[in-house]
Amino acid sequence: MTALAVEELTGGYAAADHVVKGVSLGVAPGELLCVIGPNGAGKSTVLKLLTGLLRPRAGRVALDGRDVTGLSPRRMIEAGLVLVPQERNVFGTLTVEENLAMGCFLDPRRARARMAVVTDRFPLLAERRRQAARSLSGGQRQILAMGQALMSEPRVLLLDEPTAGLSPKAAADLFALVRSTAASGVAVLMVEQNALQAMEVSDRALVLVDGRNAHEGPAPALARDPEIRRLFLGGRGAGSMDASGTGRETQR
Amino acid sequence: MPEALIQALINGVIAGTILAVPALGFTAIFAVLNYPNFAIGALATVGAYAGWVGNTAFGLPMAAALPVAFVAAALAGLAVQWMAVKPLEAAGALMMAIASLAAGLVLENMLRFGFGNELRGFDLPLLRDWRFGAFRVGPQQVENFVLALACMALLWAFLRFSRTGRAMRAVADNRDLALLRGVDPVRVAAVTVAVGAGLAGMGGMLVGLDTSVDPLVGTRLVLSIFAAAVLGGLGSIPGAVAGAIAIGVAEEVAVLAFNPAYRLVVGFVAILAVLTLRPAGLFGTRAG
Repeated sequence: MTALAVEELTGGYAAADHVVKGVSLGVAPGELLCVIGPNGAGKSTVLKLLTGLLRPRAGRVALDGRDVTGLSPRRMIEAGLVLVPQERNVFGTLTVEENLAMGCFLDPRRARARMAVVTDRFPLLAERRRQAARSLSGGQRQILAMGQALMSEPRVLLLDEPTAGLSPKAAADLFALVRSTAASGVAVLMVEQNALQAMEVSDRALVLVDGRNAHEGPAPALARDPEIRRLFLGGRGAGSMDASGTGRETQR
Repeated sequence: MPEALIQALINGVIAGTILAVPALGFTAIFAVLNYPNFAIGALATVGAYAGWVGNTAFGLPMAAALPVAFVAAALAGLAVQWMAVKPLEAAGALMMAIASLAAGLVLENMLRFGFGNELRGFDLPLLRDWRFGAFRVGPQQVENFVLALACMALLWAFLRFSRTGRAMRAVADNRDLALLRGVDPVRVAAVTVAVGAGLAGMGGMLVGLDTSVDPLVGTRLVLSIFAAAVLGGLGSIPGAVAGAIAIGVAEEVAVLAFNPAYRLVVGFVAILAVLTLRPAGLFGTRAG
């Protein structure tokens, strides 16, 4: 059974209420799905619709077969879905330990046990537990953000551009952590601009263009697909995605 | 002259520590709700009267009257928030600040209507000042100082060790992320207003202990509270304490050089200087 099943999800913001126009996807436990697409394709908006930060206009979201469409962020966490936002994804003035505790805010009785599991998985967080999060490097903050999200032991983890602003080395390390997180049984949906690297570590990939599913399939196959390389990688097979909207033009 | 200066410093540190209590309430509300609550002066007055009633009508000692001041001001603060400020939330911080100012005037005049304009004094024993060479400190000053420190210690422990306190700090730091971690922003806002207004109430009572209680006892503090919070960095908890002590000392020292009528100028000068030279304040905003 898929952990997360999304059918014909539609929605957006007050000023632009149709950014996402019928997106469908599914992620199984232990699977890593990357969602790529040009700027404005609606990738981050999909995440906001899934977490309850935005209310869908249409479509269905199910977690382990249970309909959770339109639930509040709090209810989504209780249902087992957690998002790591792209920016400002830790509490800078709180210590590493307090940040982790906030990840278990709705179930504080489990905080101690979960903290042991998470710090065992990310030893860096144990070493820096008394340090303010704002004093961490960009890569360390991303690890803390992941650790915070994993504190509630989610069934589904959503990551919004986790490697944005990181050095190539830190990005590679983080992709390895994402991969290992998925391998532990969590269903991971990762939105990424760094398309080629993201597809290298993912099981499947979904290409969004103009708020709709454009291409979908096993990530290694899509990464080799000449059309995908031409659309999003400039045909060179290296570097990050061209965010100029090339894909949108080609789609027409 | 050095003796006078040292005496002013002693008085200033004590006055500043007492001022820090309502300044902490003001800055906590700003940090979480993102608007300056100018009803803080009237809320301090509510606390002063509640403590005075507890002391003179029910014979409560000061340490027991302080929680009464806290609860009365917290309830008044929640009423101001839900009746005057919240309806204007969508209109922005400026409208919320103006609403709080107006609600403060209403509260102040309700107190005037109920208690009159007379100066009220707490039921305190008359005690001689303690003398240390050329310097003098009143026992009541010291008790107020200790009570103010206790209030701050309790606030620190609440913010540091309680789940609700941590949620308040999380919302002040990053509201969107706090929401994504399951924090209920409405509940946190209510707790923050109650705690902030309660601190103002305790601060008002401590000032009333030092002087007397009248309908303007808190209103006279507003400029100093605001200056302390701005000086420390609006939204910063340690900043509010540092700013309040700096303002307290500056006001006492200014009296040595100028007519006491100009004491209030210190607050204005501090605000002007900070906004010109370091707009984020000494500790920067949201310093936790």
